Formats: sequence, C-alpha cells, structure tokens
Amino acid sequence: MALSAFSFPTYVSKATNSGPHKSSPVTSHFFGAALFSHFSHKLDNHQLKKRPNGVCASLSERGEYHSQRPPTPLLDTINYPIHMKNLSIRELKQLADELRADVIFNVSKTGGHLGSSLGVIELTVALHYVFNAPKDRILWDVGHQTYPHKILTGRRDKMHTMRQTDGLSGFTKRSESEYDCFGTGHSSTSISAGLGMAVGRDLKGRKNNVVAVIGDGAMTAGQAYEAMNNAGYLDSDMIVILNDNKQVSLPTATLDGPIPPVGALSSALSRLQSNRPLRELREVAKGVTKQIGGPMHELAAKVDEYARGMISGSGSTLFEELGLYYIGPVDGHNVDDLVAILDEVKNTKTTGPVLIHVVTEKGRGYPYAEKAADKYHGVAKFDPATGKQFKSSARTQSYTTYFAEALIAEAEVDKDVVAIHAAMGGGTGLNLFLRRFPTRCFDVGIAEQHAVTFAAGLACEGLKPFCAIYSSFMQRAYDQVVHDVDLQKLPVRFAMDRAGLVGADGPTHCGSFDVTFMACLPNMVVMAPSDEAELFHMVATAAAIDDRPSCFRYPRGNGIGVELPPGNKGIPLEVGKGRILIEGERVALLGYGTAVQSCLAASALLESHGLRLTVADARFCKPLDHALIRSLAKSHEVLITVEEGSIGGFGSHVVQFLALDGLLDGTVKWRPLVLPDRYIDHGSPADQLAQAGLTPSHIAATVFNILGQTREALEIMSFKS
Amino acid sequence: MRCSSYGLIIPGSESRFLTTTTTPTTNKKPDRFPRIYPTSVSFGSLKVKAKLNDAAGGTATATAVVDESKELSFYDLLGIPESVSLVEIKQAYKQMARKYHPDVSPPDRVEEYTQRFIRVQEAYETLSDPGLRALYDRDLSMGLHLAFSARRRQQNDVDFQVRSEWRNRWQSQLSELKRRSMNKDAGGNISWAARMRRKRDGLSQEL
Repeated sequence: MALSAFSFPTYVSKATNSGPHKSSPVTSHFFGAALFSHFSHKLDNHQLKKRPNGVCASLSERGEYHSQRPPTPLLDTINYPIHMKNLSIRELKQLADELRADVIFNVSKTGGHLGSSLGVIELTVALHYVFNAPKDRILWDVGHQTYPHKILTGRRDKMHTMRQTDGLSGFTKRSESEYDCFGTGHSSTSISAGLGMAVGRDLKGRKNNVVAVIGDGAMTAGQAYEAMNNAGYLDSDMIVILNDNKQVSLPTATLDGPIPPVGALSSALSRLQSNRPLRELREVAKGVTKQIGGPMHELAAKVDEYARGMISGSGSTLFEELGLYYIGPVDGHNVDDLVAILDEVKNTKTTGPVLIHVVTEKGRGYPYAEKAADKYHGVAKFDPATGKQFKSSARTQSYTTYFAEALIAEAEVDKDVVAIHAAMGGGTGLNLFLRRFPTRCFDVGIAEQHAVTFAAGLACEGLKPFCAIYSSFMQRAYDQVVHDVDLQKLPVRFAMDRAGLVGADGPTHCGSFDVTFMACLPNMVVMAPSDEAELFHMVATAAAIDDRPSCFRYPRGNGIGVELPPGNKGIPLEVGKGRILIEGERVALLGYGTAVQSCLAASALLESHGLRLTVADARFCKPLDHALIRSLAKSHEVLITVEEGSIGGFGSHVVQFLALDGLLDGTVKWRPLVLPDRYIDHGSPADQLAQAGLTPSHIAATVFNILGQTREALEIMSFKS
Repeated sequence: MRCSSYGLIIPGSESRFLTTTTTPTTNKKPDRFPRIYPTSVSFGSLKVKAKLNDAAGGTATATAVVDESKELSFYDLLGIPESVSLVEIKQAYKQMARKYHPDVSPPDRVEEYTQRFIRVQEAYETLSDPGLRALYDRDLSMGLHLAFSARRRQQNDVDFQVRSEWRNRWQSQLSELKRRSMNKDAGGNISWAARMRRKRDGLSQEL
C-alpha cells in the first residue's frame, strides 16, 4: 500500500487543498510524504524510502518520532494566520499537535531553540486565531520561541534554513516578514516596544490590537518594569501575556540539575499560581457590589477595587499596582481557555493595559525535553526518536570552558575571587564555578546593569569580582561600567564572552563593539587572548590587577589546541606588553585577540609567494605596547592592524599613538582591518568571516594590494581554499 | 483497508487526531493535556492509574453495596481518626486489605468484600499522597462528600482540580474587566490614552 503512495500525489494535493473536512481518509495517513511534496522539495528523496511497515500513523498513536517529516494534514492547509480563521476549537487542538510535531522535526534537522518553542505552541495558535496579524501587532520577547509563529506565518517552507546563512533568523526580524513586528534577541524589550506601538496607534487614530508576550525570566529585567509602569500610567489599550514556565534562568539548569528560580519575583508568581482563591470572599464581595450596583457604578467599582486588593493573590497586586489589569493564572496548554480569554479581552471595548498570566511548561509535548534539566532549551541536531543530540566531538574545549577552569584555579588560591553572571550560568561556563564554589557564584537574573554595580559594590569591600557577561549584553550595562566602575577606578574584572562574530545567533548577539566602548574609558585595562593558553594567563592577570578595572574578550568557539598551563593556573602577564610570534620583513601584521590566528594563517599563505611577514600579538589594547609598535613601525614598510571588532577599537588606538608619536610622518603605511560598517547576518562562522572580510585570504590579499601586487591579491581571493 | 485495522482515526470524525489513545470513558472529562505519545509508555503514570481506577469504577457502580459504603469517608473505611500520620494509614490499610482481600474473604460474601477492598485501596491511595489527601480533607471540611465515582474522577486528575479553580478565577476576572471597561472613558479618567480614545471616538461619531 505504501508504494501506491507515489502514484497519485496530485490527487492527494487536490484533496487536501479543499480543506480538512473534505479530505478523504486515504489522504491523511498513508501519503503523509506525498502531501508535502508540493511544500518542500527536499522530501523527494524521502518518498523513495519505504516506511517501516507501510503505514505512516500519527505520532501520538504509535509513540514514535519519525526521522522523516511527520504527517500534518491540517497544518498543510495553513500558510498564513488567515487560513486558520475557519477552524473549530477541536481543529485548533489538532493544529497545535501537528505544529508541535513539525517544530520537533524541524529543530531536529537544523538545531536551535526547542524547549521554549514547544512551550508556546498552544499560545501561538490561540493568538493567531483570535487576532489578525499583521494588522494586530504580536510581539515576542527574546524571540527564540517564535518557531511555531514562523511556521504559521508563511515561513514553513524555509524552516530547514533556520539559523543558517541566508536562511531564517532564529529570532524575530522585521526585514524577514511583516508578521515579525519587532526585532528581538535581547530580552525584556517587548512590553516597551508594544507600548510604543499602542501609543503610536492611538496617535494615528487606528484600532488594531497590540499583544506583547514576555517570559517570567525576562520579567526579572528592570526594563519590563519600566515599561509596565509607563503602560499603567498612559493607560493605553494593550495586552501583555506573561508566559510563566517557572524557569527564570537560562539555560535552565546547573550541571547537577534544574536550577531553582532566581529572585523573589518567581516565588511571587508561584504563589499566584497556587493561591487557593478565596473565592467565597470574592463571591461575597461580588454580591455586595451587585446589591449596590445599578446606577451607583463608581461606588460599586470602589468596593470591588478594595475587595480585590484585600483578597487577591499577593502577587497579582504587584501588577495591579503598576496599573495593569491582572487575569490569571491560565493553563497555557489549553487552547479552549486561551481562545476564550483572548476573545473576551479583544472584544472588550476599552481595557487599558491587561496582563494575562499564562502558565506553560517548557519543552511540553516532547518527553525527552520535559525530563531534561535544561528542557532542551538550545539543542544541536538530534534524533527525534531518542532525543540524542548529534554533538560533534572536537579536540579542544570551548573558550567558555577554559575561562571557567581558569577562574576556578584562581579562586582556589585566592578566596576573594567571586563570579557574577546575569542568568547565563551555562553560557558563561560559570555553572562549573558554581559547582566548585557554591557560595561565591552569583546569578542575578537577567539584570546586567545590576550585575555590574553589584560587582562594584563587592569590589568596594575588597573582594575580586569577575563579571562574566556576553559582549553584546554588556551594552546594556554600559553606563554602570563607566559611572560605577571606571570613574571610581574600582577593580572589577569583566570577562566578555562571545566577542566578535558569533555565527548562528546573528547580529543580535554579535559582540562587535566591546573593544571600542571599553578601550575609550580612561582607567580600563583592555586585553584579548589569541589562544586558550593566553586566556588562562589573562584571567590570572586580571585577578592580579587590583587597582583599576580590567576586561578581556574571547570569542565563541573552541580553542586551537595549544598546551595549557599546568594545573590550569595561568601566570600574570606584564601589563602593556605584547609579543612577536614570527619575525619577518617589510610587512607587519599586528593582531588583537583571536584575529592573530587569522594573521598566522595569512602569513602561511604568503610564505608560498616568497613573502615573510612579521606577525605580532598585541595582547593589550590599553595600555598599548608602545615599544613594540614603535619598533614595528620603524622597521617595516607596512603595518596592518587586524581585529574582529568595529571601527574605533584597537586599530584606532594604534593609529592615534602612531600619529602622536610622529611615526606617521615617515615612510610607514598603516592599514586597519576591522568589521565592516554594517551588521553581518547570521550564518556559519566561516561565512560570516568571509562576509566581514577578515579571513586569512582577505588579509593576504590586503597585503598584496598594498604592495602593489594586485594580480596576486585577486588570485588569492579567487582561490577557494 | 489496512488503516482501519490499526485503529487509526480519520480526521473530521468524532475522535481526535493526534491525541492520546486513552479511550475516554463516559465519566472522564476530556483530556486536558493532549500528549502526543501513547499511554502505554512509562511517561504517563497518572494515566495508567486512571485506567486502573476507571476499571474499578466500572465494576463498582454496578453493585448495590455502593450505596451503603458511599456514606463512609476514607477515614472511616480505614478505621482511623482524621489526624493520623502516614505510617498509621499504612498499617490500617494493610489490616483492612488482609481482611477484605478477595482471596481470603468468605465465599458467600466475595463480591461485597471485593468492593470493600477496592474502596479501601482507593482510600489508601488518596490518603497516602499528601496532595490528594489535602484535597480530600478540604472537600470533607466543606461538607462535600462526593460519591466515589465522582471523587475518583477528580482524583484522577489532580491538575484538573487546580485548573478548574483557575478557570473560575479568570472567568470572574474577565467579567470584572468588562464591567470596568464601561467606566473606562468616563469623564473623570484623565489618563493620556483615555483622552486619545475620547478624541478618536468623538471624531468617529461626528462622521
């Protein structure tokens, strides 16, 4: 029977297009593969594989997760939210199940964020059913839970390109689709943006709805409160959906198990959930207002207000006080409830800001995710049937892990070393530190600004705080770095992970600006390791610098394989001293950070052309190694500074020094290689580097161009290595 | 056709597609949490219990013995006062079980004893689980002594209880919202948006 699947795909597609009611029984199960042929070309080879027993039954009944695309007859009829409008609630539930299966299948093929997307399947379906995107604005905070949203809004056929070069972005992106109202990636921005859209709508006299979905983790950031406070004051009609899955920390686990939620807010939220409603009292209050009611609206309202304040859950008053009308908690996996509530709120003429507290479970519907400690928050490609991820084995570990080990080694000898991170225990590697020193690791929630000032406070008391914050998230805390740390010259150490281009996460997570904004600060020591051994030494150096703030940056990715210092304990470097790696002539490449590796590769390329370059590792951007730069400038024709950062960073500091020192008045030519003046889209790290023009080939070609050997430059660039 | 032999569900028909295979019994509420894997796998232990209890419930409601023992609370069944610890509940249960087990019951009263045994087992299950026990105690204190079949339905899905509380709560919240919205743009409200709304509505009324 399975073979006959291939013989009439056209019949099948006609049947499905006529709608779920009219599709014959035959189409739904057997020919799942054929159904998709007109949606996704790559399934052509799937049709050739015979299914295990000839029947492709639904996932639920057989409990299997096919490596082939699961059958989704109803989802196949939905390209845009408008196609959902005629579905019944029962069909919506079916759609939710199919959507879940589709998300699991897609993420298993591309990798990405799974747990969060699974938690909001029903919510996404309900939102698109009730509201009319794109006229109605639906904003998703952070954006990593928008995979089902993208599937439902016309991007299903591109889901296999998720997070890849020229493919779909892993977060919402305005330029990708009109259904993505606001670009996200850093958390806690949706309410602010939503309020802006609501107020803009009011000013323009329009009548659409604005819905902002925010998670309980994102609620730990101050901006969410700033936004809610303002929303309560302005009283503009908008809906805030608090997606509460009790996670509040990200990735959502320590090494030894799930992390209890951080902060006092989460216990307030859980009290809300478990609060036994004093319904009897409410009934009494309602009865009283009913009696008073009738023409005495205001009095009744006041009675009700007092009653609510008195007897409602101790957490809901927080939102009420901020001016948002609280509704909930609501079961976030029940499409009935969600549709009913959203419909009611939508049809109420004037609501002001409303907060709907929706309770969901991260990773819901995929047992392996539900049971995992981190709920499969971010996964590599995996096998849906077993949940096992295909992690490629590398010879070396990531810079993140090396940093954690280095810090642990420092903390072993010095009991004043403490570590602070902002809800990124896994991402910064500080989960390892936490396991070793449980009382010396602080997770402050998604609150970078607070983390920096908190570290400043710790430094005042004589401790040695290491603030591990991603380079792009440090942007949030910049004023605190300047005003609270640098101005007062407090010895806070900043460990900026994910510096430079970061690959699949894209420009929202790209750390291009940290050299620029750190090196311009008067008291800051700015350094960058060129490999993992240097990283160990720089951690030791930072621990040793006790009279001023310092920072170091390292990229995403694995080490190159140099020998590590014994016992993971680095040796403090002499501040403001770089090193020469290769002695050559005519042309000098002065690299900063891991760009030095690209310089070494470029020099290897040029060796074969008979050019022997000098390659130097600057190590410090501030204070610069003046002696090194002087010697390079005086003994070479060309000096090229290379860094994976924007304009205004290392290269600018070098040329400033060259100019002031009179070295530019002589014969040396200086050229900078920096990230271009545009945002580099997400993709594989190699592709991004190529787009940025910082690959070894690019560096070599630059050298040739300056030396006037343009033909060789072209040759190197066209050569596909 | 081969599909029917697998019991596959046809879309558009009464039963649901891509949801659990637990055949719903008449007294079971619709599944609140559609899972996409079958209940026979170890994940859904609650559902397995559901099946057990449903099976028991099916036979229980048939006999007339139900009517008599319906009045007994779980505590009476086990012969213990209300404030006992888990250990004592266990002991009482073991005693009762040994007395009423079908294998050791007198042959002429097997059926009656079996029903009793099932009830005792259910009592133990409820009272030994602190969450379920708390719910049961609360019901008892509210004076709601539900029939066993109804009680079992609620026991089966502890979450269902919580969710129905939530539902009542948000339903009342929604009705309040509706009521509030009547006065939202009354003259007294001077918030920015209220002014904008009045202006917008005033303009549209003019048109």
